[in-house]
Amino acid sequence: MKMWTRLASAWRNLFRSTTVERDLDREMNGYLDLLTDEKIARGDSPASARRAALLEMGGVEPVKERVRDVRAGQLVETALRDLRYGARMLARTPGFSLAAILALTLGIGATTVIFSLVYGVLFRPLPYPDDDRLAMVAMHFTPQNAERGPMSIADYLDWRAANRSFEDAVVYQFDRFPLIAGDEPAEITGATVSAGFFSALGVPPLAGRVFGAHEHEPSSDALIVIGEDLWRRRFGGRADAIGQVVSIGSTPHTIVGVMPASFHFPQRDSEMWANMRPRPPSRRGPFFLAGVGRLKPGVTLAQAQAETNTIGRAIEQANPRNYTNLTMPVVPMRDVLIDNAGLVLFVISAAVGSVLLIALANVANLLLARAATRRREIALRLSLGASRARIIRQLLTESVLLSGIGGLAGIALAHGGLVLLKASDATPFHRINEVVIDGRILAFTCVISILSGVLFGLAPAWQSAQETPNVALKDGARGQTSGRTRRGHAVLIVAEIALALILLVGAGLLLRSFVLLQRANTGVRAPVQDVVTLGLTPPARKFRNAQTNELDRPRVTAYYTELVDRLKRMPRVQAVSVSDTLPPNLMSWADSFALEGQTFEQAQANPTVPLPIVLGDYFRTLGIPVIKGRAFTERDFHADAPSVVLLSASLARLCFPGRDPIGQRFKVSGWSPNNDDYSEVVGIAADVPYDGLQNSANAQAYYLPLQPANVMGTRMAVIVRGDDARTFTEAVRRELRAFDPEMVVSQPQSLDQLLSASVSGQRFRTVLLTLFAGVAILLAAIGIYGVIAYAVAQRTHEMGLRLALGAARHDVFRLVMGDAAKLTAVGVVIGLAVAFVLTRWLSTLLFGIGARDPLTFAGVSLTLMAVALMAAFVPASRAMRIDPMTALRQD
Amino acid sequence: MGTNLLQGTLDLLILKALALGEMHGLGISRRIGQITDGAFQVGAGSLFPALHRLEEAGWLTSSWGESENRRKARFYRLSRAGRRQLDAETQEWSRISVAIAAALRATHAT
Repeated sequence: MKMWTRLASAWRNLFRSTTVERDLDREMNGYLDLLTDEKIARGDSPASARRAALLEMGGVEPVKERVRDVRAGQLVETALRDLRYGARMLARTPGFSLAAILALTLGIGATTVIFSLVYGVLFRPLPYPDDDRLAMVAMHFTPQNAERGPMSIADYLDWRAANRSFEDAVVYQFDRFPLIAGDEPAEITGATVSAGFFSALGVPPLAGRVFGAHEHEPSSDALIVIGEDLWRRRFGGRADAIGQVVSIGSTPHTIVGVMPASFHFPQRDSEMWANMRPRPPSRRGPFFLAGVGRLKPGVTLAQAQAETNTIGRAIEQANPRNYTNLTMPVVPMRDVLIDNAGLVLFVISAAVGSVLLIALANVANLLLARAATRRREIALRLSLGASRARIIRQLLTESVLLSGIGGLAGIALAHGGLVLLKASDATPFHRINEVVIDGRILAFTCVISILSGVLFGLAPAWQSAQETPNVALKDGARGQTSGRTRRGHAVLIVAEIALALILLVGAGLLLRSFVLLQRANTGVRAPVQDVVTLGLTPPARKFRNAQTNELDRPRVTAYYTELVDRLKRMPRVQAVSVSDTLPPNLMSWADSFALEGQTFEQAQANPTVPLPIVLGDYFRTLGIPVIKGRAFTERDFHADAPSVVLLSASLARLCFPGRDPIGQRFKVSGWSPNNDDYSEVVGIAADVPYDGLQNSANAQAYYLPLQPANVMGTRMAVIVRGDDARTFTEAVRRELRAFDPEMVVSQPQSLDQLLSASVSGQRFRTVLLTLFAGVAILLAAIGIYGVIAYAVAQRTHEMGLRLALGAARHDVFRLVMGDAAKLTAVGVVIGLAVAFVLTRWLSTLLFGIGARDPLTFAGVSLTLMAVALMAAFVPASRAMRIDPMTALRQD
Repeated sequence: MGTNLLQGTLDLLILKALALGEMHGLGISRRIGQITDGAFQVGAGSLFPALHRLEEAGWLTSSWGESENRRKARFYRLSRAGRRQLDAETQEWSRISVAIAAALRATHAT
């Protein structure tokens, strides 16, 4: 019963507080009146009676305060009152509040979004059940020389036969499917997969079914499984899509199932999977399959690795001509999808952590300074009877309120930021789509928020409440900041500057590296806006020999030769070429080679390099200078023409040092015992990278003409050069459509689009880091300004004294700037020292400069010093203009 | 007046004072002075917190009324629960005082 009444009272106290207060006020004044009346009745004058009554009562307000103290629900009510008071206080100094909230918002928001990113990409399990049981299987051998290279059908069959560690030995191949459903043929990214693919990944289909184990024979029907998005987009999400027959490059395929939208293996945009129906291979190569498998329960990664290596040894023994030192690396799937992303994210996280620290240091400084300016107010309240605990609690509430608002704003920023990141294509990370702001990170942010509020609110609150009110009231604002506080300010500022410097060094290095990368020699001299490329996928059946079902190579050459001729005749077109490889990073094939007179062992040591197969005026179209000899001519593309090859300059230097490479003999694709399949080197082209701009320094490659003997596939890119590509691109598309309406043509891309796309990853991280550095420098500048301005305000009296005693104005100016310069210098030196140690980790991300590049270090230090001095300039000039009279009189 | 014992005593005195009829704050203070023969003079700073606390505990109820000289004042009266509490505390107090008296006599006897 008692508790009930108390609860009811608490309710009333909280929600009818105005009424309750009014009643209390009336009651107290009523008491005062009655007491006064008593005294008047005893003979006092009304005035002295009232005075005596007040004295006896002890004052109306203190009594009210004591009544309030015992009220039920007092804790909550006090908290609410503190919050309201705190909010009013914050609103009173909007500059400070905004600066602190902004600092916290930026720090916390950026932290949350990046940590969500790091977590989503790196730490969160892949969307396949028990994903730590999934592994990729690759091949590593000479002469392929790839760390984790592809395997061939023959390798797959051998592995599958001997496999005991994985539930299934599965392989897949990236593929692009020209889907003809409706009017516009479209190219769908996906994969051709072997038996056991879907069960290995363990994701059940959304509708229909997946391929059965028996549906991977050469005689099986052509089937596909489509992704949910594709299903909804092209088939309206209808159930009758299952079982529907569609044309993939003019071969009918039956849709048997739909995978959920969360499933996109092996790539972000994979939407279609076809059943692999491998025919028994006639030779070991080509190598184009990736292996994957789910470990059987109880089998460890090490055991699987041992088994595959045994299988590798067996394959090598059976085929010594094709493999040397063959191993089959088994790699957990998660590690495959990461590579450099781990380092990049780590660097970015470190950067963001620094920004957060700078932000928090700023807030600390601001709170420290503000606490000092409120000494008087606090002293006054202490003398009026407020308890120390109450004051501490109030100041604490203010700081918590501040960091709460900062935290909430930061969370909002984080959500918005993540949406922005996902929408922009600048993030090359594999699982960006699945990244969400998850609850744990939210909680982490909130904890940081509250913790920072408590931490920074505590020190000044404690300090303010410790001293006796007397001291503060007497001294007023002239009270000197204790040496300890001033040292605290100095330490914080030095730390801020050091952190900002480290960040700036990192950003500077990446920025310079990026600029150098962009200016890297692409080898292509054609004006980038004059060249356009389009991807071509003609229907495969056109090139299928009706009897043998093999690829009809001469037909491929003839087809593309005719296409090139047609385009060449178009107005405004200067040069046309067809190629299966595009600079700077779109290569198709890579292969090794052998030189005349080399033994088998020697030839094994030759590197594997990109090998563009081209038709038409390839070198003229892209503006690649042919330094020596000649480019390919029409004769070279005929079936019976002698085999010729062009080498890149660096490859020529490697193969024929000191000799004239023209006329030398060059065996494509590796050693052979026969002497008659050597090609003749007819020309040397300038270096052009096909493996990414970061490899432009050593861009070895060799070129083959698209004669029937060299035809490898039917998908090509057409490259057209003319006067301002924008004007003739549409005409080219029309001409292509007229030439072959069944051919799937990809979106046209200009040369600079290709170039810029190849560095999009680097661009993203450079932009991101530069952004953070910018924020850091801004925060540091604000911090310096605040601290110096505050110091000047505190020392106004002292400066006025100096001026009155004869100091020149510019002496005062120099004094202030000198202080700022000293602080900055210490910060810069510390920052440089730490940066010197840390940047070592960045070296894998850099291009063209070392991790200790002196130019960057020096430039950044100077910039930061300049910014710091600029920030100190305003308060310093204000100090200069102090009127000694006002300063001395100032309270 | 700050310790628990004294607070309990004040509560008891207030309840007793109001057992004699409803009264406003000043009046309760004067009445307490009367019934204790001047031993306890309760100031506003102790009285009103106690009154509000007792009211929130449910032993008193209050309402606005007019004093003798037509001043508006808040009047308190015992609730039924308050009456019961008064009886209980009175008994408790007697018990305690008897025990303490006995204890004090025992000490002197030695």
